[in-house]
Amino acid sequence: MTTEHNPQIFSDATKAKGEAIIELTDVDKFFGDFQALADINMNVGLQEVIVVIGPSGSGKSTLIRCINRLEKHDRGRIVVDGIELSDDIKNIQEIRRETGMVFQSFNLFPHLTVIDNITLAPRQVRHESKKDAEDNAMALLERVGIPEQARKFPGQLSGGQQQRVAIARSLAMKPKVMLFDEPTSALDPEMIKEVLDVMIELAEGGMTMIVVTHEMGFARAVADRVVFMADGYIVEVGTPEHFFTNPQEERTKLFLSQIL
Amino acid sequence: MTTTAPAPPQQTPVDWVRKNLFKNWWSGLISVILVPLIGYMAYRSLRFFFVTGQWDAVRVNLKLFMKGTFPNMQIWRLIAQMMIFALAFGIGVGTNSAASQDRAEDAGLGYERGSILQTLARMWSLVAFISLLLFFATTDDVGNFINPFLVVGGALVMAAIGYQAHRFPRRIRNVGWLLTATFLVIGFQVVSGFDAGGWVPLAIIFGGVAYGAVPVERFDSAWLRFALRLIAIAVVVLIVQAVYRAVDSPGIGWDKWSGLHLTLMVSAIAIVLAFPLGLLLALARRSTLPALRIMATVYIEVIRGVPLITLLFMGQFILGFLLPGGTVLSAITRAIAVMTLFSAAYIAEIVRGGLQALDKGQNEAGQALGMAPPPIMRRIILPQALTAVIPAMVGQFISLFKDSSLLSIIAILEFLGVRKIIHAQADFRSVAFAETLIFVAIGYWAFAFAMSRESQRLERRLRVTR
Ligand SMILES: Nc1ncnc2c1ncn2[C@@H]1O[C@H](COP(=O)(O)OP(=O)(O)OP(=O)(O)O)[C@@H](O)[C@H]1O
Ligand SMILES: [Mg+2]
Repeated sequence: MTTEHNPQIFSDATKAKGEAIIELTDVDKFFGDFQALADINMNVGLQEVIVVIGPSGSGKSTLIRCINRLEKHDRGRIVVDGIELSDDIKNIQEIRRETGMVFQSFNLFPHLTVIDNITLAPRQVRHESKKDAEDNAMALLERVGIPEQARKFPGQLSGGQQQRVAIARSLAMKPKVMLFDEPTSALDPEMIKEVLDVMIELAEGGMTMIVVTHEMGFARAVADRVVFMADGYIVEVGTPEHFFTNPQEERTKLFLSQIL
Repeated sequence: MTTTAPAPPQQTPVDWVRKNLFKNWWSGLISVILVPLIGYMAYRSLRFFFVTGQWDAVRVNLKLFMKGTFPNMQIWRLIAQMMIFALAFGIGVGTNSAASQDRAEDAGLGYERGSILQTLARMWSLVAFISLLLFFATTDDVGNFINPFLVVGGALVMAAIGYQAHRFPRRIRNVGWLLTATFLVIGFQVVSGFDAGGWVPLAIIFGGVAYGAVPVERFDSAWLRFALRLIAIAVVVLIVQAVYRAVDSPGIGWDKWSGLHLTLMVSAIAIVLAFPLGLLLALARRSTLPALRIMATVYIEVIRGVPLITLLFMGQFILGFLLPGGTVLSAITRAIAVMTLFSAAYIAEIVRGGLQALDKGQNEAGQALGMAPPPIMRRIILPQALTAVIPAMVGQFISLFKDSSLLSIIAILEFLGVRKIIHAQADFRSVAFAETLIFVAIGYWAFAFAMSRESQRLERRLRVTR
């Protein structure tokens, strides 16, 4: 029942690394007069793992929330898998279907069991049959290591388990890109690893990922590039290697010295 | 465990009095004043209840309180209705407890399925009220009243039979809910009649079931899914319609209802109609379309700013001008319309409160999964928002139930209004006002209290899962 789904669970991405799947060009975002994103230019290649770091309020969440239109950017272009984000609701939903998102506060649906959390969108959006959706959900729960929790409610799970359910829920839509907004910062220390392990496995399986996190171990293990943001700008981009040994900008050095 | 704690010192009655009534000088003073006062009032009340009260006014008119001016020859309809409602109640309780058990066991929680007796014990205020009726009714010598013990006993048996629905295998659990709804409609129509026009409620219920039951998931085309659902609904509606046309048996319209029966029915109808209307108003008020939003807001604020009694009077005198010429609505129809429109505004505000209180991360999670706004609302937002407002919602239903007594002011003889008939009788022309009032008050309380208790329980049970 489970094995036939496994090969493509973590990614539909079969194309070669390097081809751009997300392109941000001259993106600006304002909240009233306040500029949250300034002049953002960034490309993300297929199967690339990007870690975004930066001080609080620097615009990290806003950046990834613009990519799936939870926030509307004010200037510039955002193209995801060849589709440009516009006000066209069809385009937006198309992009959201290809973009999974994991939130800091999990945002599981507390009135639904774990399995119903996972199957809701596949059934509503992709019109999968109940059986297919549940088989797939069980396979995903297996992969994130908690198949025995399928019939429980989110409130009965630990934080780490909840976040793993949230990851499974996103993956059930078979997205091409996964966005993570500080997925471990609401977790007790002993649960961080179980979530990071799932994310590392995901990255190694070839998923394209943008991860906002301060977990430098994760960045070192799987990030292809690290993006450092401050005051809405991208200040510095480079390999993890570059960041940990030889950061160029003063702000980067200051920030890294504070968190490392 | 070898050491035992020293036994707590035995509390004597004297200790209790000292501790609770004479803790210090001022509590002692208050006790000295209050205890005799309360004692005296209790004595007077008990004396009134058991010695001086002229309960004949209630006893003789018990049937009047229950059914008012409803035609005597048609009482069998009321009894049949009670039996069918009892059956529906039993099926509902049985299905619900089985469903809770399924959920709890899935989630690895223990669950003790209560018996129907426990359910009745929880509703002790209703049981007490019915006992009170029986107490009076057994000494009723008005004649053609079917033995009330048989009626109540029959209802209990029907409820117990219905409760067996908990044995339905899980696969067909929803059939229990369908039966509950169907029997509620049939029970209602046993009195109101199965006329050709009565098909609407069952058509809505079965149409809804058809919408959900057609296996459309396998089809990718949205149009095809839509068309299949439409066809299924049309087929079901036509069948229901055909059945009603074949039966076509008229009953007693609600303009002839009265007494407690009318009170309960008016409240139930107004609740059933006001809830979806209020829901739509709440959604309209949050709509992004300005016209819709403004209309809903104006409606809600106007209605909430006007007393119900004013609206009821307006309903009697003004509604006629607003409707196309020649439309004649009975006083009760107009009253139900007004109660519905009135309650909908309050329900809308309650729902809006629930929507606002919900964490916006829930909506975002749905959006991020690519879900469209309507399913997000239906599957994610509303279930949570409505659960959160159950206490306020039931509170609104209870006030609606009690407010239905205002109908007595516009000359409708519901539970409270029946007193007018009683005190026009030669025997009770200007006596026993207090007795009949107290009886009516107990009746309202019995229902309101049971509703409030059930809502607390429902709330507690739904909270378990979060
Ligand atoms: N809805 C909003 N309305 C107004 N200002 C906002 C809104 N959302 C974010 N901001 C502001 O935009 C700036 C960037 O916010 P953002 O949440 O992207 O920061 P962040 O880098 O994710 O910070 P953190 O590490 O605290 O999560 C902050 O100054 C924040 O106050
Ligand atoms: Mg953030």
